[in-house]
Amino acid sequence: MNNRFFSSLALRNIKSNKQLYIPYLLSSTTIIMMFYLMASLLDNEFVQERSSSLSPLFVLGTIVIGIFSVIFILYTNSFLIKRRKKEIGLYGILGLEKKHVAKILFFETGFTSILSIAAGLVGGLIFGRLFFMLLNYMVRLPVDIIYSTSSLIVLATIGLFLAIFGITFLYNVSQFTFANPVKLLKGKQEGEKEPKGSIILFILSLVLLGWGYGISVTIPDPLEAITKFFLAVLLVIIGTYLLFISGSIFILKALKKNKQIYYRPGAFISISGMLYRMKQNAVGLANICILASMVIIAVSTTLTIFIGAEETLENRFPYENNMTLFGDVENVDEMNTRFFELQDQVQNTVYAEGLEVTESESYRYATFFGGVQGNEFVFDQGYADQENPTVLMVLPLEDFNGMTGKSYTLDDDAALYYHSTNAYKDSELTLGNKTYRVAEVANEFGEDMDLVESMAIVVPDASHLLEIQDDFKEQYPETNYLTIDAEVGWNTSGTEEQKEALAKKLNGEYGLGAGGSNLYDSRLLQREEWYGMNGGFLFLGIFLGLLFTIGTVLITYFKQVSEGFDDREKFQIMQKVGLDRETIQESTRSQIVWMFVLPIVIATIHVIFAYPIVRKLLLIFGVTNETTWLLSFVGVVIAFAAIYWVIYRLTSKTYYRIVR
Amino acid sequence: MTLLEIKNLKKVYTARFSNQQTEALTTVNFSIEAGEFVSIMGESGSGKTTLLNIISTLDDATSGEVFLEGSPLSKIKDKEISAFRRNTLGFIFQDFNLLDNFTIKDNILLPLVLSKTPVREMEERLMPIVKNLGIEAHIDKFPYEVSGGQKQRVAVARALITQPKIILADEPTGALDSKASQNLMEILKGINETGQTILMVTHSAQAASFSNRILFIRDGAVYHEIYRGDAPAEQFMDRISKSLKVLSSRGELDE
Repeated sequence: MNNRFFSSLALRNIKSNKQLYIPYLLSSTTIIMMFYLMASLLDNEFVQERSSSLSPLFVLGTIVIGIFSVIFILYTNSFLIKRRKKEIGLYGILGLEKKHVAKILFFETGFTSILSIAAGLVGGLIFGRLFFMLLNYMVRLPVDIIYSTSSLIVLATIGLFLAIFGITFLYNVSQFTFANPVKLLKGKQEGEKEPKGSIILFILSLVLLGWGYGISVTIPDPLEAITKFFLAVLLVIIGTYLLFISGSIFILKALKKNKQIYYRPGAFISISGMLYRMKQNAVGLANICILASMVIIAVSTTLTIFIGAEETLENRFPYENNMTLFGDVENVDEMNTRFFELQDQVQNTVYAEGLEVTESESYRYATFFGGVQGNEFVFDQGYADQENPTVLMVLPLEDFNGMTGKSYTLDDDAALYYHSTNAYKDSELTLGNKTYRVAEVANEFGEDMDLVESMAIVVPDASHLLEIQDDFKEQYPETNYLTIDAEVGWNTSGTEEQKEALAKKLNGEYGLGAGGSNLYDSRLLQREEWYGMNGGFLFLGIFLGLLFTIGTVLITYFKQVSEGFDDREKFQIMQKVGLDRETIQESTRSQIVWMFVLPIVIATIHVIFAYPIVRKLLLIFGVTNETTWLLSFVGVVIAFAAIYWVIYRLTSKTYYRIVR
Repeated sequence: MTLLEIKNLKKVYTARFSNQQTEALTTVNFSIEAGEFVSIMGESGSGKTTLLNIISTLDDATSGEVFLEGSPLSKIKDKEISAFRRNTLGFIFQDFNLLDNFTIKDNILLPLVLSKTPVREMEERLMPIVKNLGIEAHIDKFPYEVSGGQKQRVAVARALITQPKIILADEPTGALDSKASQNLMEILKGINETGQTILMVTHSAQAASFSNRILFIRDGAVYHEIYRGDAPAEQFMDRISKSLKVLSSRGELDE
């Protein structure tokens, strides 16, 4: 018997089992497409260029979808092969040797994998292009984001999925090698042994989830959030699988023990059905739950970034016009005159345009790095000495009162302070050679202060800044970067056009292109660029959200269809002994709690616990408003629940049509 | 009292894509008294199963009527048909039709659960039946963990638990070995002796010999019928064999 024979036999098998193979091919094609699209984003120009934290996030996403693909394809394959046991057992009885059966299986796997990989790649290419075009049209970014892909990504996709299909082949062959034909003939009927709920697995799942949640809740600062995020996500994913596998057994068994609940028509049929194929059921639910969490996080965070763009702009640029004055290392004291002169010049320029300054803020400050030890701030020579130095900002009282509108007075040995971690509680603080009596104030220095551990100290006047710097130089004579810098910000009267004219004028004089030690930034001029970038994030968020939603549709559909075929015979028998159609519907309805409510609820819990870490990540993007995040989170959860509800209703109708 | 009455029953199957018609039942007339144990015998294709399906309300007759306690089955509304099947009829199938996802106990209770019977009543009804059938040791096992004979006894228990007016058995010994068949038939006979009406379709003369009356069907009509009366089992078997011989030889002559 030659290969031609086996290959044509394999092809005929696929055709005659098309009822099983169509959902299988459809779902593996889609999962390949998902992976390919996700991996293509790694190469995307926007992702590469925009932010350093973006590309590791996409690596993570690709890994997650990769793991997910493995689980999903093995899961769908096990459904498929279970239903074909009888057919393949028959080959054994008809006299085919095991190696012949292996050959048939080889060709079948070969055909299906080639077909679905090819379709997945082509589909991904077309879908990616079309979808990016559509999104570009909808989001209207100043510069279109172009969908791109590379042969490396194509090869990686092919490689990964060939490996996965290879595993399914080995699994299928092993199923038939270790079983005798008679058993195989009955294979479909033989139930999964009712699983024993493993307490160890259950505890392990709680530990993993707790660990993952713990990382999120205790994360100290945004920079750490990026690195720990991966670990937390992986822990929660594994924890979710284990939780569903072990937890659902416990719950179902408890329900089964409660006779008042169990012995009612709908529950009777659905609980026993779920216990019967517990593992597949649990994996399917966990898949849905994880995808739901990913959709919610991806869309709600990017939506927050987009909605919060205006706020971010305000954080970054507190005033319409902002100027940073960089001090002179050679002549530190120079700032104390330049600071006032520049404000006068600006004032004049504004007047010259026929406008008035309506609001303004200005302050001088010196920056040091070091750490608090006891009640002394110990200087560091520079960044490199310590991994996470505390940033210390020292500013004169005069400027502090000016910017806050308050009127503090300070004795010569007194100071005010703010500490971002709120850890410093002493009443004295030594800075250099001088010890101040200190009092704590609220954060008046901008949300940026909370990004890394930092401290702000208000000293009686500008001469203290110089004194502290001198003390510092004594300790580290080779230091050559100490300066006094200053920030000046102001709003003006006038229309948008007038403001823009002023901004352009000032930008010409003091902007990035003009050089010099004063740097001008206009919020108005920056706005466009910000929207471009944040629109890009929203774009990616919607894209990922859609990708994961497709995954959810797929799994729900596959779950319902395959279980429908599994359950069909059972329902036929039950109808013979007097099951009516209403009860069939009732039993599918009582699955709602499991299929619909459970994944959504657990996904929501995941997202709630992800909140602290996501919030820290959002700080990097300058989003500080929690209400925005909360609202977009609630909105996305509700929207996703609605979409999932539609998916669920449609697929459960399919299920009902199959079993009826 | 006449429990089941079948009048001029006719069933014609029409092929889906042609006008070719197959007559499965031409005219069937017979009646069953309460407490009888009736077997229907006939060759493959004689229309036995079609007849049983119509009585089971799984299939509709082309014309004619089945009366149960005087009321026609065709008048039962679609909505009530499942409840009717559950509460009035008990089924025993050749291939058991047990559900692998239920324990033996739950398989037996299935029709009661579907009727929303209170849990206490279900359990009260369950124990005497399973004890009587000798399967009380297995009620927490799953169907794939017990033998064929035990499976069929579970099916009998499921048929009995609703206290049906009539039990319809379709080749109940078809998938059993001779010892298990003998055992099952003795059980059915015992059940019949408590007053339960049974209508059984079978190929096996051995199985049929346990009933009180046998109807022979050929070409869609009742062709012959014999009563057991007080005859001993061997003598009755003998008469069955002779009738079967006549049935098949007459058939050859007809052709």
